[in-house]
Amino acid sequence: MSARPLVRRELHDAVRRWWFVANAGVLAVAGALLLLFGQNDAMLLGQRGYARALAGLMQLGLVFVPLTALVPSAAALAGERETGTLDYLLAQPVTRGSVYRAKWAGVTTAVVLSILVGLSITAAIAMLRGVPSGPTIALVACTALLAVAFVSIGTWISSLTASRTRATSFGLTVWVVLVGLGSLGVITAFVRWGAPAWVLQAWSLANPVEAYRMASLAILYPDLEMLGPVGASLIGALGRPGLVAASLASLAAWGAVGFAAGMTAFVRSAQSGEPRHGRAAS
Amino acid sequence: MIRARGLGKRYGRSVVLEDLSFDVARGERVAVLGVNGAGKTTLFRCLLGLTAFDGSLEVDGETAGPAGIEVRGRIGYVPQLPPIFDLPLAAFLDLVSDMREIPRDRAVACLEELGLPLDAAGAKPLGELSGGMLQKAYLALALAAEAPVLLLDEPTASLDPGSRREFVRLLSRIDPGTTLLLASHRLEEIEPLTDRILVLHQGRLAFDGRLPELWAATAMDVRLWVGTPVAERARAAFEIGALPFVRRAEPNGAGVHVEAGSEWHLRVLLELEGRGLSTGEFRTHAPALEEVLERLIRPASAPTGAFR
Repeated sequence: MSARPLVRRELHDAVRRWWFVANAGVLAVAGALLLLFGQNDAMLLGQRGYARALAGLMQLGLVFVPLTALVPSAAALAGERETGTLDYLLAQPVTRGSVYRAKWAGVTTAVVLSILVGLSITAAIAMLRGVPSGPTIALVACTALLAVAFVSIGTWISSLTASRTRATSFGLTVWVVLVGLGSLGVITAFVRWGAPAWVLQAWSLANPVEAYRMASLAILYPDLEMLGPVGASLIGALGRPGLVAASLASLAAWGAVGFAAGMTAFVRSAQSGEPRHGRAAS
Repeated sequence: MIRARGLGKRYGRSVVLEDLSFDVARGERVAVLGVNGAGKTTLFRCLLGLTAFDGSLEVDGETAGPAGIEVRGRIGYVPQLPPIFDLPLAAFLDLVSDMREIPRDRAVACLEELGLPLDAAGAKPLGELSGGMLQKAYLALALAAEAPVLLLDEPTASLDPGSRREFVRLLSRIDPGTTLLLASHRLEEIEPLTDRILVLHQGRLAFDGRLPELWAATAMDVRLWVGTPVAERARAAFEIGALPFVRRAEPNGAGVHVEAGSEWHLRVLLELEGRGLSTGEFRTHAPALEEVLERLIRPASAPTGAFR
């Protein structure tokens, strides 16, 4: 008796639906274009030009990957709950925890695979053009870690919400807050209110989007340009390896905490009652 | 096989089940009757561990509850409204078979036995199956699990009368050793399928006994309707109504409606014939559950016996 078939079903669903191919396609096409345009710079600037092209790819991932991870993961449990299929799955001889783990593993695998497929094409082009394989593979790995973090956040949201629409809305709100406000609005507000530097540093490390950006740039750029004042100050405090390690640890922590919090909420909902979705029990 | 003691469930301030205690023996077929909101589905959700509850609930000696994998392994379940997975029938069958470790051949054979050959319907998405086909698919998987307990939550609620009759016929073929709990609000449906009735009313057990005991307790019974020519209808109603074992007889539609113990139905027909009154078709039907409940919960009309 096992919930493992649910992992296969998630993967099968992902491939059957548009988003898996769309994710991979957008990343492959946009990445290839960025690299081809970046090549002109590279001819003038050498490795720095390729780093810029990869940084462009990182910017694309920074906006695109959280979105593509949040949408399917936020719908994973909430969608099943909305259609009543979740109750039927939970009526089988499996634990709630194993159903949660299977859904998370299925969505994570599908999202990461779509990113790997898209970025592998880009990475292959990059390496053929002479970009060192190390930074390219590191960027792909960071992007995959970012995806895992956001799948965990999305599944956590899904464990708390009653419908696919509501879960997707919450997911998009999280995306706007972390991607839109995280990098610009919040930092501006911190500066305006005169917050101490450590608060700004902590916020930047705690925000998975910022952590991804700093880790990627610290790996790609030996001369630290584009890291910005917060990243530069963190390099001053932690050193480059420290910043990379702290940023990756932040991403991993989001993945682990999101997963654990979501699973706890889901398992406890048998005690506290499932989020209401309008199907009254009698 | 199933043992409930002091079972209770609240959603906020709303009491859905209250102090429910009953036992169901192995192989027993029990109907759980009640109007909408009586607590039938919640009772099944407690058995399946889909919700936490107060009191104790055991299936085959194992404790039911959210952690009760062993209990869920002993239960085959057909939900009231079969949910529609975004899958073709064959993939749905594979998913559930894999989760429950049911041999695929057995699941396919059950589907075919219920008139759903996988060759013909396997590629169809569940959303394109008719209500009857969907119910059959869920029943097939519940049967294929060969679980000792079968929970059927109003399995005919969304079916048309033809499909309902067919479904009831299919249910009558369930292995006699299987313990059956069938939630319903149709008395006429449960009569041929079950040998004991639990009536839930506002979350409490209002009756626990056999169908004849329910009729006795409510002074009701399966009713007889006899078709009679219009010219003889009033006379037939009068003369039959005067018989000592008939509680009431009155013209109804194209015939006469007779309230009498089911053991007297043949006698009624013979009396009509003996008095030279021509009878056409006749049929029996159970009173509406609402009527039965009304009598059950009204203490003044409660004779004795199985009332809770």
